[in-house]
Amino acid sequence: MKLFKFIKYNKIIAILTISMLLHSCNTKQEPIDITANDFYNGVDLVTQIMVHDIFSPPVASRIYAYPNIAAFEIIAQNDSAYKSLAGQLKGLKPIPKANSKDVNLKVAALVAHMELSKSLVFSEEKVIQYRDSLYNIWSNKNLKQFEASKDYGLQVVKSLKTWIDVDNYHQTRTMHKYNVDADNPSRWQPTPPAYMDGIEPHWKKIRTLVLDSASQYKPVPPPEFSLKKDSQFYKELLEVYNVSQDITQKGDTSKEIEIAQFWDCNPYVSVTRGHLMFATKKITPGAHWIGITKIACKKSDYDFEEAVYAFTKTSIAIFDGFISCWDEKYRSNLIRPETLINQHIDETWKPILQTPPFPEYTSGHSVVSGAASTVLTTIFGDNYSFDDDTEVPYGLPIRSFASFNKAAEEAAVSRLYGGIHYRAAIDEGLTQGRKVGNLVANNVKMK
Amino acid sequence: MNKFILYSILCLLFLGCNKNANKQFDVLSPDKSGIHFSNTLKDTLGQNILDYLYYYNGGGVAIGDINNDNLPDIFFTSNQQKNKLYINKGNLQFEDISFNAKIEGENTWSTGVAMADVNNDGLLDIYVCAVVGINGFVGSNELFINNGDLTFTESANAYGLDFDNYSSSATFFDYDLDGDLDMYLLNHAIHSEESFGKASIRNNRTYESGDKLLKNNNGKFVDVSEEAGIYGGANGYGLGLAISDFNADGFPDIYVSNDFHEDDYYYLNNGNGTFTETLKTHFGHVSKFSMGNDAADVNNDGFPDLITLDMLPEDEKVLKSSAGDDNIQIQNLRIKQYGYHYQYARNMLQINQNGGSFTETALMSNLAATDWSWSPLIADFNQDAKQDIFIANGIPKRPNDLDYIKYISNSQVKKKMETTNLIDKEALNFMPDGKLKNNFFEGDSDLKFNNKTQDWVSQNATYSTGSAYGDLDNDGDLDIITNNINAPASIYINTTNASKNYLKLKFKYTNKNRFGIGAKAIIYHKNKLQSKELYVQRGFQSSSQPILHFGLDSIKTIDSIKVIWPNKTFQTLKNVASNQTLDVSIDNPKAHDYKVATTNNHSVFNLEEDNLGINYTHSENNYIDSNRNKLIPYQISDRGPALAIGDLNNDGKADLYLGNGKHNASEIYLQNESGFIKFEDSLLTKQALIEDNSAIISDFNNDNSNDLLVASGGGEFFGKSKALQNNLYTTANNSLQALPFPEGFEDTSVIKAMDYDADGDLDVFVGNASMSNDFGNSPKSYILENNKGTFSKKSLGKLGMVRDAIWTDFNNDNKQDLIVVGEWMQPLFLENTNGEFIDKSSNYISNPLNGLWRAIIPFDIDGDGDLDYLLGNWGTNSKFKASEAFPMLMYYSDFDNNNKTETLLAIEKNGVYYPQEGLDELSSQLVSLTKKKFTTYKDFAGKPINQVFDEAVLNKATTLKVHTLASGFLRNTNGKFKFVPFNNQLQVSPINCFTKLKISGKEQVLCAGNYFGVKPYHGRFDGFLGALIQNENEIKLGNTLGLNFFNKAVTKLDTITINNKQYLIAVIHNEAIQIYQIQ
Repeated sequence: MKLFKFIKYNKIIAILTISMLLHSCNTKQEPIDITANDFYNGVDLVTQIMVHDIFSPPVASRIYAYPNIAAFEIIAQNDSAYKSLAGQLKGLKPIPKANSKDVNLKVAALVAHMELSKSLVFSEEKVIQYRDSLYNIWSNKNLKQFEASKDYGLQVVKSLKTWIDVDNYHQTRTMHKYNVDADNPSRWQPTPPAYMDGIEPHWKKIRTLVLDSASQYKPVPPPEFSLKKDSQFYKELLEVYNVSQDITQKGDTSKEIEIAQFWDCNPYVSVTRGHLMFATKKITPGAHWIGITKIACKKSDYDFEEAVYAFTKTSIAIFDGFISCWDEKYRSNLIRPETLINQHIDETWKPILQTPPFPEYTSGHSVVSGAASTVLTTIFGDNYSFDDDTEVPYGLPIRSFASFNKAAEEAAVSRLYGGIHYRAAIDEGLTQGRKVGNLVANNVKMK
Repeated sequence: MNKFILYSILCLLFLGCNKNANKQFDVLSPDKSGIHFSNTLKDTLGQNILDYLYYYNGGGVAIGDINNDNLPDIFFTSNQQKNKLYINKGNLQFEDISFNAKIEGENTWSTGVAMADVNNDGLLDIYVCAVVGINGFVGSNELFINNGDLTFTESANAYGLDFDNYSSSATFFDYDLDGDLDMYLLNHAIHSEESFGKASIRNNRTYESGDKLLKNNNGKFVDVSEEAGIYGGANGYGLGLAISDFNADGFPDIYVSNDFHEDDYYYLNNGNGTFTETLKTHFGHVSKFSMGNDAADVNNDGFPDLITLDMLPEDEKVLKSSAGDDNIQIQNLRIKQYGYHYQYARNMLQINQNGGSFTETALMSNLAATDWSWSPLIADFNQDAKQDIFIANGIPKRPNDLDYIKYISNSQVKKKMETTNLIDKEALNFMPDGKLKNNFFEGDSDLKFNNKTQDWVSQNATYSTGSAYGDLDNDGDLDIITNNINAPASIYINTTNASKNYLKLKFKYTNKNRFGIGAKAIIYHKNKLQSKELYVQRGFQSSSQPILHFGLDSIKTIDSIKVIWPNKTFQTLKNVASNQTLDVSIDNPKAHDYKVATTNNHSVFNLEEDNLGINYTHSENNYIDSNRNKLIPYQISDRGPALAIGDLNNDGKADLYLGNGKHNASEIYLQNESGFIKFEDSLLTKQALIEDNSAIISDFNNDNSNDLLVASGGGEFFGKSKALQNNLYTTANNSLQALPFPEGFEDTSVIKAMDYDADGDLDVFVGNASMSNDFGNSPKSYILENNKGTFSKKSLGKLGMVRDAIWTDFNNDNKQDLIVVGEWMQPLFLENTNGEFIDKSSNYISNPLNGLWRAIIPFDIDGDGDLDYLLGNWGTNSKFKASEAFPMLMYYSDFDNNNKTETLLAIEKNGVYYPQEGLDELSSQLVSLTKKKFTTYKDFAGKPINQVFDEAVLNKATTLKVHTLASGFLRNTNGKFKFVPFNNQLQVSPINCFTKLKISGKEQVLCAGNYFGVKPYHGRFDGFLGALIQNENEIKLGNTLGLNFFNKAVTKLDTITINNKQYLIAVIHNEAIQIYQIQ
């Protein structure tokens, strides 16, 4: 089967090569038209690959940000409407300038976007397949322009890689695992059903893009851990339980359950049936907001450059949002409601959503939603209503929102309905995220 | 095409003529036998793998003579179709009489089967289990009472056995020894445990899934589970059931194999109608996904051993694409927080140690990995007087395939959820097939089994579940039948015939137990014994022929047979001829004394209950090396503590220094008239951070009072951590005071003092073990040369990962030489040549002998007058594998160029080296080298190490080797040494320490071991009971001498004299010290 595909693929290449040779004798000089849709398609592809490869939310934010930045830097250099991020993002130096008049910057931006995405995901062959089909089209239209743009795009990738490679990502891969200490009653421990290790315990060590440090917007500590009935912590614990019992009684069609499921954004929900195990996979919280960015760009009929700008700014906010959030998560190392409720309140209780594998405080979705929505509001304006169909491919309905902020607030509170976060993580998370968003919106001058 | 057909026909003809020549078993075809039974599964709504978790567990087999014509008949349960009864017509021809016999059953889903004479009329009745009450499964367990005319009457209700719950199987036995047969009903939960839940859930009885013990009250079975102490919780996934008198007290005990994270249950019969579940105190670890089991004496010591099956694959392709073991933190959580026992996903062979604890040896015995396995049968199939093992295995779909779980199931399952409740064929087809050949293991000596699957039979791969044995053709040897899913039953006809001798025993016991269920026979021949008990429920959901079968090799006459009846009486038969079926009736029996078997007549060691006032418990901090270094093969931070004995307060009495783990202060105990008292010193508290590995009490500064030298280490500290500094203390002024001592920040594992330069003061060898955060590298070891109390360092270079050393004059030049042992290195013979130590190992040992050496002691084990050297190694009961031809390899390098070194372990299998770790483990440390290269598990699985990593990457690495894992000794023959491994009793765990002691005036060596510093991939090395080595042929296990080392990691042994009496001190990792008086 595979061999067959391979042969077929080789054949295509052979035909391509021949046709390219023919073309070179009879060189076409059509312009290569690139629209915003070409960019959306590239981002969508990356999203699909990330779902397949199972990247955790923080890592996914990194896979979005760098390719977007590469594309933006390329288009910003010749367009006076846009300002380069060099000097604005930590350690980022100006990219080499295109020195051939044949370079089509949009093509180069897409080339760079694909190439960087390819290097950041695992399943490269999917990017290659997609890339080669585009290369085919472009080379047919205007080989000279394509070649020049491709060369330039790759040159930019090479230059950016020296920046990306020192963001501490590789070092953090091999740092020590989270230490489970079940004797400490407040300390996070792995949760059912897969009891996965705490993911990315060292994500705070990733170089931030805009934040001065991971702890710049360090939130107030969570309510002090206590199982005394009158303590704030216990009240919030009980709230998770009561809300869950309440909405479970209302049934699957209740507003709260719909909200919880809509914003689940868990890339890997494992399901067990005896020895049979399987996973349902969805996009990450960051990916959801990237999806919303696309919806807004389309609604506002953004052109290629505008779209790249909006995506880049949003993904920068999401990137720093995760670092800020993960810094706190592995500072407070707070135990999840599921563990405590099973231990102290109801042994058989299961949250409506599956508890994700990392400490509780603050809520990642809240931080990221706060950050992304704030940036989107500055780009598209407040009270920008939209129909969110991001989750349709994952079997969820469309939800409509009056504004990005409203959507973010709903995303945040969905974690309470889902039974995976206490109230404080949601409120403080949203605040924390909005601070990150404001910093990106105000300090990063891209226009 | 025509050519192909021709070729095929030729092949068939050839095979037809050759008809399995020389094979141990012939497979009997359905056409010849007339047995066309197949357990055919048809997915329906509610009956599929998504809706019923045990959809692929298959049916059972029962073998028994239901019409008393001396020809064993066969009964099969079918999950969804009709059950079948085949009458044996002789000549291996069978007739299906199921319909007329009214035995086909009414249940939606039938499972296990038991045969027993329930109504005491001398006719075997048949009990069929069922799953009832889920997904529309209806019916109840059925009891088919034999009418004696080839018909049966279903009468479960009349006997109180018509349970409508989730039954796996049942067995009839007399647990209360009141003479009649009671019943144990094994049930299984049907829900998926998504969270662990506390182990104590088992205390809350649930009707549907809880096991039941049913007492026979004059033909009515009454549920006595609760008062008898039988668990019946919602988390019991009972799949295996074995009855045996494990502790040899005459009362039958029960072992229940539970699937998933519920522990197995080991019920010891209290003899008063109740049981006590004691798994944790008798088993160090058990199978995790426990399926079928069998209990029988495999090592001819008279005590029943136990095999439990699991699902560990041997085939690298399956192994590396299937979900593996828990990670270590989850294991600890499940054990500490939820109260479960240690469980690992592999077959276990539990060797019964004189009715006490069990030592698990499946890895050493070659039985651990037979893939998805259901039914083990222990019997002497080739009649060579050694027990063999048959294992039925196979599963239609492998649901634990990692690609399926992670990459394929998502879209497929979603499709199912959206459309119907029936998982569609397409989705199922993405799960790999698990068709397997049933396994045959030939019993060898010394707890070894050889896989004879290829040699013993030509067979197709199947999904075989239940299995049973019996002598179908009455030729004396045992034949085997398996119940197969979607294929005709396999019938293996044994071809031993007259080539080896046998004896079959058929009991005629009392009216209420005519077949003598529970009777035991011990046969004695040529100073050897074989023992068997008559319990017919064996393997999985199945019932074997109610006879005892013994293989006798070439023995014509058995010296004697002791038959022990269920009523605790026995009779002896003398000079019994082989090759016959002997009917044994109860005849003038005498009372049997069970105590003789379990009492140790000559206790050498007597535990001092109060430890002579030493209230010391070693306490290791909870540090997991593999959290930091994910590919490290074992812990390096847990090898302490130190033990030193000597007079610290100049009163002429030996005192004790006991080191401790990180954050725990070391302790000193001073000897007084009555015992010991603790010596408090603030310096000990101040130095609590230090992990002490080795210590010496001796006078280092020649001031006529002893000093204390303490060596510290542990893989946890790194750089110039103060906790790594070795310290010398004087106790001159009744308190500890540090003396100047050379700086040193190595992980010191051993210090040994000797005035090697004969200048009147003690010099010290300092052996270092590892480099923190740089495992694989070797630290430098050195000698501290003592110059009137001032030490100077004399480096010996990078000797390797040193674990132990001795000063000894191995070249008889009256100068003290050094032998240094350690991990990934060979024993080093360092010759003292004018004060320099020259490695002359190759002059003394000719074969490569790298091991994971942990201890050495000189001892003339062969009594030839020269010194041999005993060596403690890792043992061979492990997933590690090493030989001279195929050493275990460890590559050491900074593979991914991130300025941090890693190690990669490679182990040979069929001549090819594979990485020990799976893709997930490798990518947790080397993501850049693995995740992009292998985007599916299928791509990775089965790849040799040099295809997983490029040759260039491996070539730049340093390669460390291990040639042997066996503990043993270096035999001294005229000054040359040859390694001789100990027998397998001493290979079950790492041996950590030796000590010499005098017993009855004779110098002997005691060794001890066990080790827990490994990932769940390895399990735990917990079953070594210590051994007293008198000479190379006389070695006794510690449990027979009064030692209690089961499930304890003994790290240091030494002796001390108190009031002229000799005592043994055993320091145990993470446990209280033990002190024994030596007789």
